Amino acid sequence: MRIVLSSDPRLLNILRAVVRYRAQEIGFTTEEADCMAMAIDEAASNVIRHAYGNRRDASLALEIAAFPDRIEFVLEDSGPKVPPEVLQPRSVDEVRPGGLGTFFIKCFMDVTSFDEDFPAGNRLKLVKYLSGKAALQDESPGQERQ
Amino acid sequence: MKVQVRNANNATIIDCTGEVDLYSSPNLREALLKEMRLGGADILVNMSGVSYIDSSGIATLVEGLQFSQRTQTRFGLFGLRNNARSVLELARLNRVFPIFENEQEALEKIATTQPFGGL
Repeated sequence: MRIVLSSDPRLLNILRAVVRYRAQEIGFTTEEADCMAMAIDEAASNVIRHAYGNRRDASLALEIAAFPDRIEFVLEDSGPKVPPEVLQPRSVDEVRPGGLGTFFIKCFMDVTSFDEDFPAGNRLKLVKYLSGKAALQDESPGQERQ
Repeated sequence: MKVQVRNANNATIIDCTGEVDLYSSPNLREALLKEMRLGGADILVNMSGVSYIDSSGIATLVEGLQFSQRTQTRFGLFGLRNNARSVLELARLNRVFPIFENEQEALEKIATTQPFGGL
């Protein structure tokens, strides 16, 4: 599944709804789905703020792939490369506005990685593993689920 | 997201309803800072209608807390749903915000809290 949206913050609720729906559909709990929706929301917000400088007329794409043991999200934008230090999570011992988005992404997802070879823009991959896989034993771990 | 402001006892209550994200948090920020600039009253944010809050919403609340420190007024939250409470706990901000269960408790206790000076 691939969704392409304009970089308008008004559309973030659509992104969250799709993530919640797909995550629950493949067996994540409501709470896990909510956490993933927040992680994707934070990642998309980072794109809008840092890659696009709050422009609303650019686009961002979210690809969602479900596997027997995990769900993968790939978020792509066509903005300038964002220096990794901009997206470093800050310490929660500091009390100041801002800087918590990346912290939440890392809390809620099992794997976060930037594709540094992505030719134009930024490509962020986020992965969350299912904790119980009993109903999925017949499927190959590498086979994408429909 | 909807933001409404009302007075109760000597406090200003900001009723926030809906989802607080990158799109809507500037509205909350505007209402919060407008009331804080008026000065005098304690500010309480009613979170009972907030179904979702992201880091931009949390940043707005932290900004309110810091503003209250500078103006030596009191600032607190009440009525947090589980998801908002969990997010604040994860960021360890439950230790810095005065958080009350409901409006009654907030109105009773806010006057006894110290204007926040620990940031």
